[in-house]
Amino acid sequence: MNKALRNPLIYMLFILPAFILFVAFFIYPIVTAVNNSLTSWNGISKTMTYIGMDNYATAVQDKIFWYSARNNVYFILFSCLIQVPAIVFFSLLIANVRRLKDLYKTAIFLPSIMSTAVIGILWGFIYNPDFGLMNEFLGLFGIEPVYWLSDKNWAMIAILITNAWQWTGFYIVMVLAAILSIPKELDEAAAIDGATGVQRATKITLPLIMPIISVVVMLSIAGAMKAADIVLVMTKGGPAGATDVMATYMIRYAITSFKHGFGNAIAVLIFLFTIIITVLYQFLIARRTERIEY
Amino acid sequence: MKKSLVLLLSLIFVIMLAGCGTSGNGNKPGSEGQQTAGNGDQGGKTNNEPFEITIRHTQVGESKKFRLALLEDVVKKTEAAVPGLKIKLDGVDSEVNRKERLRGEMAAGKPPEIFDVMGSPDAELYAKEGLMLDLTPILEELGLTEKFTTLVPFTHDGKIYGIPIGGSIEGYFYNKEYFEQKGYQVPKTLAELDDLAAKIKADGKFPFAQASKDAWIPLMTTNNLWSYYGGPQITYGLKTGESKWTDDNIVKGVAKHQEWVQKGYFKKGELGFEYAHMRNQVITGEAVMMMDGSWANSVFRDPAQAGDMVGKIGYFNMPPVNAGDPVVVMQDANNGYGFSSAVAEDPRKLQVVKEFIRNMWTEEMQLRGLKEDGVLPAMKMDLDQMKTVSDDPLMQDIFRAVSEIGTSFPAFDALVQAEVNTALSTGIQQVISGDIDAAKMLENVQAVQDAANSAAQ
Repeated sequence: MNKALRNPLIYMLFILPAFILFVAFFIYPIVTAVNNSLTSWNGISKTMTYIGMDNYATAVQDKIFWYSARNNVYFILFSCLIQVPAIVFFSLLIANVRRLKDLYKTAIFLPSIMSTAVIGILWGFIYNPDFGLMNEFLGLFGIEPVYWLSDKNWAMIAILITNAWQWTGFYIVMVLAAILSIPKELDEAAAIDGATGVQRATKITLPLIMPIISVVVMLSIAGAMKAADIVLVMTKGGPAGATDVMATYMIRYAITSFKHGFGNAIAVLIFLFTIIITVLYQFLIARRTERIEY
Repeated sequence: MKKSLVLLLSLIFVIMLAGCGTSGNGNKPGSEGQQTAGNGDQGGKTNNEPFEITIRHTQVGESKKFRLALLEDVVKKTEAAVPGLKIKLDGVDSEVNRKERLRGEMAAGKPPEIFDVMGSPDAELYAKEGLMLDLTPILEELGLTEKFTTLVPFTHDGKIYGIPIGGSIEGYFYNKEYFEQKGYQVPKTLAELDDLAAKIKADGKFPFAQASKDAWIPLMTTNNLWSYYGGPQITYGLKTGESKWTDDNIVKGVAKHQEWVQKGYFKKGELGFEYAHMRNQVITGEAVMMMDGSWANSVFRDPAQAGDMVGKIGYFNMPPVNAGDPVVVMQDANNGYGFSSAVAEDPRKLQVVKEFIRNMWTEEMQLRGLKEDGVLPAMKMDLDQMKTVSDDPLMQDIFRAVSEIGTSFPAFDALVQAEVNTALSTGIQQVISGDIDAAKMLENVQAVQDAANSAAQ
């Protein structure tokens, strides 16, 4: 048996199932997408005509595509600059709650288990210009009704708020787990030394949970790059394409128009942009926060 | 030991791979080109073994409950006629079916045996790829070929690939009670419609209900407007290059729509409203008129949906530019059922298709659809016969509107490429939001049209 386990072939056989799954569900779709992106395939036909890089040229020369990409950037910025600080803040609050901690955890996690369609309808009511909660609230301060989902100046921010509401709870539970895994002695020692709650949070807890915050940021970036469902449910990319992101651009201008070759080119571009941004984030920021020693 | 372990693991993987390799029946619809329906004869043998087929329909939700009941009756009759048959009904939202489910199934070469499909451009593309059953011989056998108002949206290279389930016209639903209270008459010209809208606006109501989250809704108004200014034939020439989106008359139609938006004839924020919101504006009395397909009558005749407004809603065609000019109306039959070409390979399934067609497209069913659901017949039918089906005042208004039609035309999206439809859909929302004027928007659409026409060549 020991001899058998010293044979590299045996190990290769053991990794074969995972390797087959990896190739079948990751490598093969990517290769297929890249191949299709070089064609004028209509999505139905059994024959494909290769047109080189034309689909990529069409995409990068289309200002509407870049407008959609800009909306993805808004998703990333909103996640990193507003959502992540809020996640950390609420995680710290909940971690220090003495009573009903589980209730808070469950309540805050609930939106992330709701379907996006339900959330779209729910927030559709909240944003309703006539009787929506948002305008009712703003009305208390004498502010005129805002047409949240039909005004191009507000539609994107309305989607970003809803998206943040949906996923904040999920990330809070992750960060909370990291906070609760920090040895209590560290916090107690700091408290004995006279550190205040804010000091312990910023000087002890925060540095120790940086790896998980880094993961949250990376997941947010990946989520922002592939965002589509929340946009489709709330505005369908409207008004007049104002909330289109790259994925909804792909659906609107390629898939619904039977231009699957072009659609695959957009999908490949989304994949490449996501890889580039996450790799840059990993090299520039995340690597510095990976190692934590208590 | 080592050899045994390697052999054992190898054996496991060979079995696994063999299992993967033999899955599926290798039945590739359309792989032998377009399938033509045969006669389904099984050589005299009766096979009563249970089998199942799927019907993908879009009769989902409260507003389509009558149409679903009609389909269920047809299913029962078909099941009774074919021994061993079990029909599985698969209901999906029409947009989801059209743009996602059916398209994905077509790409995989495995559509359901019977499915809801739009005639143009969808059915044409699927037929071209050999994925839809050629119904020409079946319709001839059943004596139905000449029975329809139009089969053009489902005809490709002279063969028929689908059958419309109903017809529709587009026009204005209006608050009859309000008109009577104010002493307003149904307008005879576009100028009269304009004046009427101004008076309604001055009265503190919205002249027109509109919900433009889905662009096809405002485009009903725009399509009818440009067809009046430029004539209905102008849209036919766009695909061939004989006419242009930048034609002054099309620009005039779009500009008129934008003018109505700028005058506040539609509720502010309508770019974010769903289709149902538009009907609610009429039901609540917030808006007075609404451009919609004649199918919407089912909502206004249903107390559960329209409440007190039942019996208070009327219907008229968009009036012509000049008094006495022929009435030009969008009249369509682009939605219907298609059948998988794979059905031709199974005589029992082919028999199901024939029975389904035999039971679905009868005068009785068409009149029932008209009576219960308010869907105009797709089959040719005498107007007086239609009038006897329903004494509902709204239906009588619609029948009158049908009788007034001078020239009808199909919706623009049945006449242009899908990408042109996408460009116009975005464009009309830009026009409504005031981002762009009609001329500039149509220039953009023409650029897409030129590219699509070049690609087709």
